[in-house]
Amino acid sequence: MTVVNRGALAAVAAGAAALAVAAVVAVVSRPAGDVGAEQAAALASPTPSSTGPAVAVVPGALPDDAEPVRPVRLRIPAIGVTARVDPVGVDERTREFDVPPSIDEIGWYRYGPGLEAESGSVVIAGHVDSAEQGKGAFYRLRELAPGDTVTATGEDGTERTYRVVAREEYDKTKIPLERYFARDGRPRLTLITCGGPFDADARRYRDNIVVTAAPV
Amino acid sequence: MQFAYLRRAAAGGAVAALTFVGAGIATATPAYAADSKVSVVHGIPDTPVDVYVNGEKTLENFEPGDVAGPLDLPEGQYDLALTKPGEPIEQAILTADDAEVPGGANISIAAHLNADGEPTITPFVNDTAKVDAGKARLIVRHTAAAPAVDVRAGGSPVFEGLTNPNEAKGDVDAGSVSADVVLAGTDTVVIGPADLNLREGTATIVYAIGSAEAENLSVVAQTIDGLHSAPSGVPSGTGGQADTGLGTWWYALAGTGILLLVAGGARAAVVRSGRR
Repeated sequence: MTVVNRGALAAVAAGAAALAVAAVVAVVSRPAGDVGAEQAAALASPTPSSTGPAVAVVPGALPDDAEPVRPVRLRIPAIGVTARVDPVGVDERTREFDVPPSIDEIGWYRYGPGLEAESGSVVIAGHVDSAEQGKGAFYRLRELAPGDTVTATGEDGTERTYRVVAREEYDKTKIPLERYFARDGRPRLTLITCGGPFDADARRYRDNIVVTAAPV
Repeated sequence: MQFAYLRRAAAGGAVAALTFVGAGIATATPAYAADSKVSVVHGIPDTPVDVYVNGEKTLENFEPGDVAGPLDLPEGQYDLALTKPGEPIEQAILTADDAEVPGGANISIAAHLNADGEPTITPFVNDTAKVDAGKARLIVRHTAAAPAVDVRAGGSPVFEGLTNPNEAKGDVDAGSVSADVVLAGTDTVVIGPADLNLREGTATIVYAIGSAEAENLSVVAQTIDGLHSAPSGVPSGTGGQADTGLGTWWYALAGTGILLLVAGGARAAVVRSGRR
């Protein structure tokens, strides 16, 4: 075997090795994928309203000032999360969910249902990470699996426990947000953070990770 | 609350009496139209009534200040009649024949006093378009025997020169606001002040009812919910530590691998064929 030939074979071997490494990396770093998407959709389907034959008559009073029960703390043992929950709304300019700037805190969508609600989606979102502060409270949200428990403590002092039924990943341009911010359908807890490929120039992730949990 | 821009909306509140033509066009009903949601609002002071729809008693002893419904009514024409409780329909105190209900609309029918103090029936088409996330819709309807009024929030006018039987409306930040009603262009308060809790994703419809002369002006309110929109997005990461994409180094590695394979393979082939 000539020297030239040996060199060529070495190059082929090195090339094959490089491709093998690349393939392994690609497989390992592939997102965990969606689980329980059908269950999440079933929870969101509208509950049939019971309309009797009689016409409802109510006093035409001004709306009362009853407030929903807001969550103040969230605990997810499976991923070691205990975080303070702040009530948040939307950004005045972009109309996006106003996720708390501190990555240790997570935000409850105060316009949606509270913990006491008998229908609809209680939404809590938090940072996966931030450029300035590092890993966020929801850094490991993508590791949650069906069956994991989530406990929300309300400002009324009551703890309510939920069990994860679904984890889904959506491109932010395609996520059906109206379903996750619905005020009808079965009562459920929806946790949202960022994930997927990161665009370093725009400093944003491509996807949202959405975890749906149902009351135990 | 940002009310300043609402003043413009106050001008165009006119609602056609008893013909829902405007709504009919707006909803562009298909061959078979969805039912309409119809609510009935009682704004005539001191006068409980029975309400007949197409000759059938639909509401019994309907009290002033109450709101009934919504009823699901198919598109069509309806005869409405109000009687004193228990009295036959022939002795109706107020009737409206052939009231047109379009398909797929949301309508409130108000029994109220006109500007001169006579009982009348006015249908209003409710704006049930979605509001932006964080917003609430406020609709004010002048259905009282009173002159033109201004509606003020936090002391400054938001709807000006509103007259019977018209409405003014606008989408505002959700939340609580102190509101009152004054005679147009004056500081003479005729209704309120009252705290208005405008819930996000709802329309709060406030009817001014009663009579200025009889000094029984007050309000009736109706709320329509389910008008909310989701936020436009959930931005929740700027660090990139959770990146699951394949970095540029991956493409470099794979590219180098392919190059080595091709170049090495070609070289080996050349050498072998050269030896033959």
